[in-house]
Amino acid sequence: MINLAGRDILHSWGKFVFTGIGLGLLIGVTLIMAGVYRGMVDDGKALLDNSGADLWVVQRDTLGPYAEPSSVSDDIYRSILAIPGIARAANITYLTMQVRRGGNDVRSLVVGIAPGQLGTTPGWPPYLVAGRQITRSHYEAVADIATGFKLGDHITIRRNYYTVVGLTRRMVSSGGDPMVFIPLKDAQEAQFLKDNDAIWQSRSRTEANPAFNRPGTPDLLDTVIASQSTNTFVNAILVTLKPGYQPEDVAESIRRWKRLTVYTRTQMEDILISKLIATSAKQIAMFLVILALVSAAIVAFIIYSLTMDKIREIAVLKLIGTRNRTIAAMIMQQSLALGAIGFVVGKISATFSAPIFPKYILLTPADSVAGFFAVLVICVLASLVAIRMALKVDPAEAIG
Amino acid sequence: MSRQGIHIEGISKTYGKGDTAVHALKNVTMLVAPGEVVGLIGPSGSGKSTLLKCLGAVIEPTAGRMTLGGDVIYDDGWKVRDLRALRRDKIGFVFQAPYLIPFLDATDNIALLPMLAGVPNPQARAQALELLTALDMQHRASAMPPQLSGGEQQRVSIARGLINRPPVILADEPTAPLDSERAMAVVRILNDMARKLETAVIVVTHDEKIIPTFKRIYHIRDGVTHEEKGEGRPF
Amino acid sequence: MKHLPLQRRTLGLLAVIVPLLVLFIYVGLRSGPLAPVAVTLATVHPHAIKPALFGIGTTEARHTYKIGPTFAGRLKHLDVDVGDQVQAEQVLGEMDPVDLDDRLHAQESALRRTEAVLREAQARQAYAQSQAQRYEQLFAAHLSSEEALAIAQQELKIANAVLSAAHEDIIHAQSNHAGLMAQRNNLRLIAPVEGLVTVRNIEPGTTVVAGQTIVEIVDPLGLWINVRFDQISAAGLTAGLPAHITLRSRQGQVLQGHVLRVEPKADTVTEELLAKVIFDQQPKHLPPIGELAEVTLDMPALSTSPVIPNAAIQRKGDSVGVWQVIKGDLHFTTVKLGASDLDGRVQILEGLSNGDDVVVYSDKALTSRSRIDVIERAPGITE
Repeated sequence: MINLAGRDILHSWGKFVFTGIGLGLLIGVTLIMAGVYRGMVDDGKALLDNSGADLWVVQRDTLGPYAEPSSVSDDIYRSILAIPGIARAANITYLTMQVRRGGNDVRSLVVGIAPGQLGTTPGWPPYLVAGRQITRSHYEAVADIATGFKLGDHITIRRNYYTVVGLTRRMVSSGGDPMVFIPLKDAQEAQFLKDNDAIWQSRSRTEANPAFNRPGTPDLLDTVIASQSTNTFVNAILVTLKPGYQPEDVAESIRRWKRLTVYTRTQMEDILISKLIATSAKQIAMFLVILALVSAAIVAFIIYSLTMDKIREIAVLKLIGTRNRTIAAMIMQQSLALGAIGFVVGKISATFSAPIFPKYILLTPADSVAGFFAVLVICVLASLVAIRMALKVDPAEAIG
Repeated sequence: MSRQGIHIEGISKTYGKGDTAVHALKNVTMLVAPGEVVGLIGPSGSGKSTLLKCLGAVIEPTAGRMTLGGDVIYDDGWKVRDLRALRRDKIGFVFQAPYLIPFLDATDNIALLPMLAGVPNPQARAQALELLTALDMQHRASAMPPQLSGGEQQRVSIARGLINRPPVILADEPTAPLDSERAMAVVRILNDMARKLETAVIVVTHDEKIIPTFKRIYHIRDGVTHEEKGEGRPF
Repeated sequence: MKHLPLQRRTLGLLAVIVPLLVLFIYVGLRSGPLAPVAVTLATVHPHAIKPALFGIGTTEARHTYKIGPTFAGRLKHLDVDVGDQVQAEQVLGEMDPVDLDDRLHAQESALRRTEAVLREAQARQAYAQSQAQRYEQLFAAHLSSEEALAIAQQELKIANAVLSAAHEDIIHAQSNHAGLMAQRNNLRLIAPVEGLVTVRNIEPGTTVVAGQTIVEIVDPLGLWINVRFDQISAAGLTAGLPAHITLRSRQGQVLQGHVLRVEPKADTVTEELLAKVIFDQQPKHLPPIGELAEVTLDMPALSTSPVIPNAAIQRKGDSVGVWQVIKGDLHFTTVKLGASDLDGRVQILEGLSNGDDVVVYSDKALTSRSRIDVIERAPGITE
């Protein structure tokens, strides 16, 4: 028995391939949408992985430092180090701001990393793609390549210039902003000190305040201004644990003794994924459903019209003795072939277009496999309409 | 008379019930012997198509008896379970238009029938090629239907009707679109094949060109048939 | 013959399908989690590390003299302005004496008065003395009573005491006078040393309190840079280390200096060590006080040892190490690190030897299961 579906496809292969490509682009868009979601989740996970921390210590009752602003004093880390089970504790600051290079600026997450020994201090970028790690205590930066900066570039953060000495990849905030790592003290200054104009205004205001500007105590004004110009806060303390200690146990001891809020890795993931990207996730899920329906409708329509084009021949086939089963199989096989071509085109176009998108797109093999089966199921269901039409045809219509 | 031809007795077909009932066929009797080619002539609305559909086991008669190739296929109810297989194996159709499958070549269009019956592909194709050769079409064996001329398509269509060696062939206006030369060619082929394969052939037609060639003619009017001797002019 | 048209059509279709499938398989293997990670390797090589310390500091004057009055008053006149060079003992300005002159007069007359009182006391004492002597003689000749002698002696004692008091009064009055004179002298603001006026806070006519700074003088030759070094990377900070100084307003110009001293008191709040760095030669144009400077200190070169770029250092669990490539396989080797320099080279004390290959750059975080693809340099990056 010859394969009727195969012969038909071979005969009108142009139509099939053309339609398959169109369907494929739609499937590609669907895969990209799923990739956007996975990319957002991965951004969150990358953020947590790259910080190298087991615990995050933040301001009491905040969801910080990523989901909510958090401020802790920068000397608390010393007392945390004394708690058993803690290998290292390091201050860290995060501030999303515009980083200037030349005439244009890039939105980045500026991370202030505490001075420390190579490889051990949490918060330092775990791996580089070029250059070196920061060696000087000021005015050096390591940037993610998504910023567009190159080694040796001079970038401006607030009032200081920094030289880019190293480049990283996939160091992004949960919102997809690339990270720029600078020494902690510079970051504290950047986070706190505004531009010169604002500083002048603030000084004038302090001078105008009679409480600070007493004639009997000449140094009071300078002292007050000096205290206003320092920042002793950081956004969080990253903690790594000694082997053998459970994160939740150590977290509990910090909470009890230090009146701070502490999150373990699992809790941070939950915050990032369920709180930060929950709305986007729902949106994407809706899109996926819509795209699936559209794809189903398109396949159904195409297979239906292909079948209707052949309805006379199908009547003849039925008259001369072709089984209903054979006719149904022909239609369904055509539908599946269309789906297969579409999926191949879709996967290829998704893979090649993913790097072009501004945000990170993660295409997982699991998604592709699930997508493939979804496409097949959609094709089977979509062909049912046409099959029904074909089977309803009365063979007597072939006769006059 | 091993193949016995086709014999129907008292076949009636009524659509509807009561006052609005339409009696398309009333007590039709026909007998066609193997190798015989008879004409079935009637105006439109005479029940011609209905009779053809009953003969082709496409619709079910209301009453009567049908014997095909010696087997009773209908006796106030279908006596065979698989009508589709019956049509495939025992009835050959030749249509007004060739209705060839556009994505199969000439050979496969013909070989499709034995393949449906379970015959292995090479054997089916060999049979098809044989028939094509008999019809002087072997050089067009791998042409696709759009590449064939009208007459060639018709010949392929006839070959398809014949390939399973059915006891009866029903031809519905096979010469309508053809000119007299080609029409005669078709009549010639039908008679040739009928004799060779011992097939009974019923040709529904109103083509004046070929009516004189029949030796026997059935006229049908208002659902009633009556037999008549034909001219039997040579072709 | 029969199969030719079929083959042509099939060939046409295959020409579309096959590249599509090839592309599909390529996409499946080369992207996503199945793809190998592109890495760049570096070889451990011997190098004599020249460690250096980096800190930022502000230019300060070694000695700043804040000149002001010792008591509240009004500034009468000020003769110097910012930028003026002054000599030692130069009068810079003067405070308004107000009532000081009158008080001085009063004190002088008080002094004269005490001198008069002294004379009186001296006279009385002389008389009492002679009286006491007379009565002694008379008593010895039994010509007067004992009582008379006692009275005379007592009066002598009283007179002595009054004389002492008068002496003390004189000293008291003289001291007061001296004090007021000193105050009078203090009305003048005098430069203690030769130097440069850097701040002029108060204008003449303003009332000032004791201790308020009117002008500040610094010794311009006594400039140093107060440099701060992160404690954690300041090992080996000692006096005498050579320094390279870059002033913020003069980027690109490097001045030479050396560490004068390391402050015994570190900054506990900012966790920094403080040091004072001075210029080897005074720059022709002195930097303004308070300007920021970046200071790099050279430390003596260490002996040659295996070094690797610091980008290769990774942390796995609790240990610090590198991803070593041995015969094409990835292997995490724990290392012990030594000193490092400011260009990113780190000494390897234990764990690796010269000639070992380590991963410096990678596209993704590596695990022991990663497949690697060694490339020359990461794409899209220009040095």
